[in-house]
Amino acid sequence: MVELVPTLLRQELARLAESDARLDGRGQWDGREVDLEINCLYNAEGSAKVVMGKTIVYAGVKFELRTPWPDRPSEGSLMCSAELRPVAHRKYEPGPPSPESIELGRVVDRGIRESGCIDMESLCIVPGEKVWGVMIDIHVLSDGGNIFDACGLAAIAALRTAIVPAERFDVGEDYTLKVKGAPIMASFTRVGGRYVYDPSEEEELGGDERIHITLGDDGHLHSLQKGLRGVFTPAEFAEIFGVAHLRCAELRKLVALQEGN
Amino acid sequence: MAGYGDVKLLRDDGLRLDGRKIDEMRPVTIEAGILPVADGSAMVTHGLNVAVAAVYGPMEAHPRKIQRQDRAVIDVRYNMAPFSTSDRIRPGFNRRSREISKVTAEALESVVLVERYPRSKIRVEIEILAAEAGTRCVGLTAAAVALADAGIPMRDLIVGVASGKVEGTVVLDLDKAEDNYGQADLPVGILPNTGEVAFLQMDGDLSPDEFNLAMEYNFKAAAEIHVIMVDALKRRYEGGEN
Repeated sequence: MVELVPTLLRQELARLAESDARLDGRGQWDGREVDLEINCLYNAEGSAKVVMGKTIVYAGVKFELRTPWPDRPSEGSLMCSAELRPVAHRKYEPGPPSPESIELGRVVDRGIRESGCIDMESLCIVPGEKVWGVMIDIHVLSDGGNIFDACGLAAIAALRTAIVPAERFDVGEDYTLKVKGAPIMASFTRVGGRYVYDPSEEEELGGDERIHITLGDDGHLHSLQKGLRGVFTPAEFAEIFGVAHLRCAELRKLVALQEGN
Repeated sequence: MAGYGDVKLLRDDGLRLDGRKIDEMRPVTIEAGILPVADGSAMVTHGLNVAVAAVYGPMEAHPRKIQRQDRAVIDVRYNMAPFSTSDRIRPGFNRRSREISKVTAEALESVVLVERYPRSKIRVEIEILAAEAGTRCVGLTAAAVALADAGIPMRDLIVGVASGKVEGTVVLDLDKAEDNYGQADLPVGILPNTGEVAFLQMDGDLSPDEFNLAMEYNFKAAAEIHVIMVDALKRRYEGGEN
């Protein structure tokens, strides 16, 4: 089954690509409808739920007090990790974190970390002794394709709603975590020979390599990742880079819209 | 479970801290079929608890050593999301989640017609997204609805409910404070049509009379939740979709 279905699917996707069509009727650079919900989990200090087609992802933020790294005594820390648990798809097996889930968590982590949206020094309580560790956990409940973008969006949206639970840890009053900007990821997969934005489950199954681009508010790159077997040309990258700017700006607006409500 | 005498859990007017009566359960909502890629699924909110269950299968059972020649095995994983509790939980299985997974699987194997699917496996994934006491019961209820949503034949549904004791009084459906500082907890899984019990745990201190009263409350709550479960499944399939 693992071999047969993708072969037939690949033929169908290649046929569709000739007329620039997609299985679900979308255009090459169209995304699926995105539903974002924020502050939706009791017990998480910040949370978000993202639904993109058949993909459903939750992200939750927790804080802990820790001692700073010796080389950075006045900086807190940020960690983002993702779990691809067996709940999300029949293809996921129980066991220790898979390379796929580690890659996913790390790509999202880099986009958020490198955008500088969190001032690590603002997470310091007592230099050299006590700092906040911020942990973003991403929980994929349903993998219906393009979990990278869904996870990236859920993570930053959750982070932007986070309240630092200082009272519970006896280090002052609770306050809203300061987050500057919203790094957003846009992902492309080669399907039928050309790239498409926001691949569906079927397109990932019958597609080739993927490229993930995370952009900051100013359009600067903060993380890139090429995954799976395949190659691309600089011209192809230039094209999807242009699309990424548009799609990221739209999703950033969605985040602002939800926060305004 | 003594020694918490300074925490007051019952108000002077006889109601509980959150305003509930002694035999009143927290509000419950259930939605079936919420996960598009699973064969069956459900989300149950019970008070502030949120549990999601997904069912995959029946599928080939492997590794082969878990296969049974005459029936299906039910492979349950109960897992709490890292952000589901006040202090973050390190991802991965622990002794508590393994035990809950085991007894939940055995409860579900008691109602699913497992003889229909020899040598196969039915995967049940229970994810707790938010925890406020009673998650194993909420997870069990979610699993039962998800199995029904997957179209897997069952003798009956199972409803997970719990009663307990606070300040010497038997109460239905403990909340977080009552669970932490109370004197007993009695979670059960009830078959609402047959009146049988497929899941039973207890810790704390209960007299025989208190046990009987707690079970009476549990059966009452199970009947209430059963109506909500059936309604969720009807809503899922009434529209003629799927």
